[in-house]
Amino acid sequence: MIRLESVTKEYAQETVAVRDASFEVQKGEFVFLVGPSGSGKSTLLRLMNRQESPERGEVWVAGRNINEMPDSKVPYLRRTLGNVFQDYKLLPNKTVFENVAFALEVIGKPKHLIAQQVPAVLELVGLEDKTDRFPHQLSGGEQQRVSIARAFVNRPLILLADEPTGNLDPSTGEGIMRLLERINQTGTTIVMATHDHRIVNMLRKRVIQLDRGVIVRDQERGVYE
Amino acid sequence: MILGRISYAFREMWASFKRNITLTAAAILTSAVSLLLVGTTFLIQRAFDNLLVQWRGDVEMIVFVRADATESQVDNIESALKDQPTVIDGEKLKYLNQKQSFDEAKKIFAGDPNTLSLLTEETIPSQFKVVPITKDPELVRSLAEQFQTLPGVESVALAEDQFRVIAKLSSFVRTVTIGMSLVLLAVAVGLIWNTIRTAMFARRREIEVMKLVGATNWFIRVPFMLEGLLQGLIGAVVSCGGLWGLNRAWTNGVASFKPGTGISALVVPSGYVSGVMVILIALGAIAGAVGSGIAASRFLDV
Repeated sequence: MIRLESVTKEYAQETVAVRDASFEVQKGEFVFLVGPSGSGKSTLLRLMNRQESPERGEVWVAGRNINEMPDSKVPYLRRTLGNVFQDYKLLPNKTVFENVAFALEVIGKPKHLIAQQVPAVLELVGLEDKTDRFPHQLSGGEQQRVSIARAFVNRPLILLADEPTGNLDPSTGEGIMRLLERINQTGTTIVMATHDHRIVNMLRKRVIQLDRGVIVRDQERGVYE
Repeated sequence: MILGRISYAFREMWASFKRNITLTAAAILTSAVSLLLVGTTFLIQRAFDNLLVQWRGDVEMIVFVRADATESQVDNIESALKDQPTVIDGEKLKYLNQKQSFDEAKKIFAGDPNTLSLLTEETIPSQFKVVPITKDPELVRSLAEQFQTLPGVESVALAEDQFRVIAKLSSFVRTVTIGMSLVLLAVAVGLIWNTIRTAMFARRREIEVMKLVGATNWFIRVPFMLEGLLQGLIGAVVSCGGLWGLNRAWTNGVASFKPGTGISALVVPSGYVSGVMVILIALGAIAGAVGSGIAASRFLDV
């Protein structure tokens, strides 16, 4: 589903964000990218949805080399990917329903489909009774659920999550992880960057560890260390 | 689905239009003023053109031929003119028959319908336009006196000095007004560009989300381009109103001059004014769409 071949990404001249990274993620896998801040976790995620392009190496997503893809095709790549962020990136002037519907609206989905899919995904994330609230009326955990609903509403092949529990207290974070596991069980591949030891050790998924841009460990059913 | 997208684009455009009302007003006013100047340039040029139409292309002498002159008389005049190769440029010698002369008269007497109504295609004199080859005005003047007595000639007119002054003034005014309107038009495009940039900055979070969920650049860009286009269009409509008022005041002012003073030629026919308005509206729309399109593309790299 995702394959990186000797990928190197440099910012400016001095800073190497990712050095010679190679790994492959199978369909339906759940992978943690772990390591301290600045180790290159976010950069790896940004390389996978072509927010960044590598200086060397190739990034393959869903069978295509996305760095050779023309800019005009990038939006269609992104429709097969869902993105979840530490800061949720919700639109403050839109309700829960509108925030999720927005993702379908701007890729030209018809109204009747939006009316069907948005309530379904809001039920999946457990927010069916808060559809008309605004983001500031929700707790952090609820806001993250909205953001996951928005990422998942178009049924992407892959969900990229950057520190989704970073702003949440432990028990709320656990709830988010249960939700992500449920989504993973529907066949969606999940790549999640985190430095939350507890969560990594609790779920026992594949762990790819980074240190200053270099992959130092790639382990099935790993722990954080 | 197409309809949904169109209504989306217009809804977004309108919301953003209202949100930045002060910047929008500035952009609209600037484009209105610059387009008004462009339009005024057109009208001034046209007015001067009317005045100078007889003398266009270095014509210094016009031999008017009587309406009742025979063909052989006309031929005689022509060969007599070509017989002066040291004074007259035979290559540039031009003959306007009665129909062509009447068309020209319509321009000259645009603001003097009384005089125009006395003329018909049958009674108007035809004319030879003479471009001299010599630099000596005295030679041309003495030649004009000679031709005055030729059979079939009604009269001979010489480009008076004041026409030369007007011609110079005309080209000076043209340079200045075209220069000013170009600068102002650039300012208008810049202001529209800036309004759109501000509008996009205000909505950068939305644009970021749109890009991440896979909206195409055109989908994001179109509402902003529509907004710029609307600004340019409103500016153009305002400038058309201004131009109409200006031309009306001018026409009324000219009408109070005595007929036959030549000033009446400075009136611009209303058909021409409408043509200029169409140009202004097209210019406004293009300037708005281009300014906002550049801004939208420039700030879409989130």
